[in-house]
Amino acid sequence: MFLSAEEAKALTDKLLARSEADGCEILLRGGEEQSLRFARGSATTNMALSNFRARVASHVGGRVGAVETTSLDEAALLEALERSEEIARLLPVDPDYVPPLGPQNYSHSRRYDASIADLRLGALAEKVAAVVEACSARNVLSFGCAASGRRFEAMATSNGLFAYDPSGEIELSATARNKADNWSGWAGANELAADALDASEVGRRAANKAARDEEPLDLDPGGHPVVFEPAATAELAYWLLNTLDARAADEGRSYFSRKGGGARLGETLFDPKFSLRVDPGDALAPCGALGFEGVPHRARDFVAGGVVADLWRSRAWAQKTGAEAVPHTGCFHVAGGATTLEEMIGSVKRGVLVTRLWYTNMLDPRSLLLTGLTRDGNFLIENGRVTRPVRNMRFNESLATLFSKIEALGPSERVWNALRDGGASAAPPMLVERFAFTSRSSGI
Amino acid sequence: MSFDVTLDRRILDDLADIALDAARRAGASYADIRLGETRREHALARDDRLERFDESRRCGFGLRVLVDGAWGFCGDVRLARAAILAALERACDSARAARRVQAAPVGIERLVAREATWRMPMVIDPFEISAAAKADLLLTVTSAARAGGADFCEATLDCEREERLFANSHGARLLQSRTRVTPFFEATAVDRASGRFAARESLVPARGAGWEYVAACGLVEEARRAGGEARRKLAAKPVTPGVMDVVIDPTNLWLTIHETVGHSTELDRVLGWEANFAGGSFVKPAMRNHLRFGSELMTIRAERSREGGLATIGFDDDGAPAEAAEFFIVEKGVFKSFQMAMGQAHHIGAPGSNGCAYADDPTALPIQRMPNISLEPGSATCALDDLIAGIDRGLYVVGAGSWSIDQQRDNFQFGGQLFYEICNGRLGDMVQGAAYQGRTLSFWNALDGLGDASTFKLCGTPYCGKAEPIQIAPVSHGAPLARFRGVTVIATDAERA
Repeated sequence: MFLSAEEAKALTDKLLARSEADGCEILLRGGEEQSLRFARGSATTNMALSNFRARVASHVGGRVGAVETTSLDEAALLEALERSEEIARLLPVDPDYVPPLGPQNYSHSRRYDASIADLRLGALAEKVAAVVEACSARNVLSFGCAASGRRFEAMATSNGLFAYDPSGEIELSATARNKADNWSGWAGANELAADALDASEVGRRAANKAARDEEPLDLDPGGHPVVFEPAATAELAYWLLNTLDARAADEGRSYFSRKGGGARLGETLFDPKFSLRVDPGDALAPCGALGFEGVPHRARDFVAGGVVADLWRSRAWAQKTGAEAVPHTGCFHVAGGATTLEEMIGSVKRGVLVTRLWYTNMLDPRSLLLTGLTRDGNFLIENGRVTRPVRNMRFNESLATLFSKIEALGPSERVWNALRDGGASAAPPMLVERFAFTSRSSGI
Repeated sequence: MSFDVTLDRRILDDLADIALDAARRAGASYADIRLGETRREHALARDDRLERFDESRRCGFGLRVLVDGAWGFCGDVRLARAAILAALERACDSARAARRVQAAPVGIERLVAREATWRMPMVIDPFEISAAAKADLLLTVTSAARAGGADFCEATLDCEREERLFANSHGARLLQSRTRVTPFFEATAVDRASGRFAARESLVPARGAGWEYVAACGLVEEARRAGGEARRKLAAKPVTPGVMDVVIDPTNLWLTIHETVGHSTELDRVLGWEANFAGGSFVKPAMRNHLRFGSELMTIRAERSREGGLATIGFDDDGAPAEAAEFFIVEKGVFKSFQMAMGQAHHIGAPGSNGCAYADDPTALPIQRMPNISLEPGSATCALDDLIAGIDRGLYVVGAGSWSIDQQRDNFQFGGQLFYEICNGRLGDMVQGAAYQGRTLSFWNALDGLGDASTFKLCGTPYCGKAEPIQIAPVSHGAPLARFRGVTVIATDAERA
């Protein structure tokens, strides 16, 4: 269920008026979505969903109890309100209690185009048909998922806050596999408006990577120069953003903790070319206006020119440390550079073009040592040219090391996110002199 | 058993009738519906603070129709006649739209339609335990970890109940209820002077169980021990990497079973249905009864009825009974069977589903998911000392840590919570910063020692992700202690390596 701002306001006003607690926060989330999956050029499953959740948090004597319901029924919502007050009374007093947020100034976020609302599965089927056709033209098999949806988030508090944040998106991702089943390629795209999504282009990109007849080369593990396509750069940057936790840094349990105490804010820990930013007004990757706990997202550098400029911080930790609350987000923009992907490849004597990463996971948070594998399009670069597929490999590499020595960055571009990720990210192609591959994988 | 299904059966039956009758009139050759509620409670304590206590009740239905040989599905959180009829129309439209990009009509087998009620056995309903008592438990856990040596501790408790009515156009009517509890903590020790820190996560697994499990699982005692172990990890020497023999505790091996065996033998992956996201598999249909997956000691069973299992239930989300999902996946090292949901078996010439469907929400589409999957213990008496006695140089691995595996389930790498050297047949010092890396078939073929039933432990995860849009499934994996020869162990502590 997609509620308008007026409908959401009317609902939250009614609930706040019935609250008997010291304070009350109401978060409404809902929307509609649909998706169509396909494999071997043919539809497999599809789904449509109408969704709604109301979370009521009651504050009683420095304690907070919360209840969530999927019902819009007034009696059920009032029952949730009553139960949240009951829970709050049962809990111990919170030594770091934070009262409900008051009115905030939210940025305008450009994340909703009304055309999304009218889409039905037929529109997604047309996108899928275009991918299948593009892959068939290159004699490769197509697999993937098309999805669209719109959602809203509204927050209201007894201290006078009301915020409403709508968003919508259509997304498409495609995997192409050659008919010998020994090579694959992947591509994806997201757009705010259905017409803007070029499904044929997504299909062509995936097919171009997969349509290789050569037997993939087994490269020896070790350090190799690597050119990352934007999707791979974004995956690495996402992990870095997640580690920028102020509380962990302040408490000494983070790479961003300073020996002897305190956080490494203001320190130059990365390459001067590396900047990581969040901005509701970002042209490529706008984050929502409404951040975690209702804290507004503002244009903010987390890393600026290699310097750690900010860390995300909950309201409670911000209050305890006297610092600003900074909402965590999955949306980000890694600043780009002027070197094109082709120029990067052209500068490499022998290295690897990595187009996508898979199953990344932190191995050692002390050094930001990340593991993962390449997937769906990994190629050998020889004498400035992409020459042949390279079989996938595992890497174990420190993000601190990786982002501290960047040879070149290209223009940043929007990269694919799943509809339910609820985020947007943009990243550039990136060239590094050494990336640590540790073992081979037969996974294609 | 102290509880009953809380949803109004009569209302659910009426709505199911409305859906199935309308689907028949709309020309669906098959239809099914799942209606119900998922009730959750999540509590989080951090050090001396109860940071969060949330309850939720998520209702809804998911209606699936087969129209003109194509699937259509629609879910909605509104349990109401108008929403059901609107969803039916949407699902039928979707099926017709999908058919235009579908190469061949969907084929499904006819599962035996049953009418039954199944309730998970449980002594104490966790939702009857007060928020105050749960908060007190978590704060006691964090306090114990800090008293034991940790500087920080975060503890969580999740309780979840799924209540579902399944009905289909063949006449099935299944009302089921199951409950899960997930106690967890992470204790962290810090040395501010050196800037080093070390964490130790709890080893107590999630279970399909009531409060009696939480009360008896020893969380507070384990937290105290973990606090001390986190502190010891700070000072422990780094592992010496190399190829060595490893003894793996069930608290770690369950995740290796999950990733290398559980996922590689899912038929939807093999058919390419997950190629764009979760991935495929190195296992192929022609390998049934032929592939030497592991050594003779390796027998892995699907076990839907395992007591306490997170995936234990009477019937799956296609309506297949639990007994269908009791089968060998690997028997004495030989691959025997894939996991299958409805509509998959005919692709490999198998007779029908073996009961492996699950939808993670009343509004979600059922897909193929794992039942509980476990490694059988050895029949001969064998304990930790016996396994270690045969090792000159090796590593004993306890608890699950970092994990990663390729999209065809071959190249894996697993960390752990605690590592101990094995030297000349004896358990040695604690070491830290280790992970083991390998390839699925060579790893399982290197299995040469199994603990007996006394070493068997049921572990698992409530959070296995798969599909687009992603669904989260709970699943348990049991294992005994096990010994593997010639495994690559890497050092992950860059600072000290």
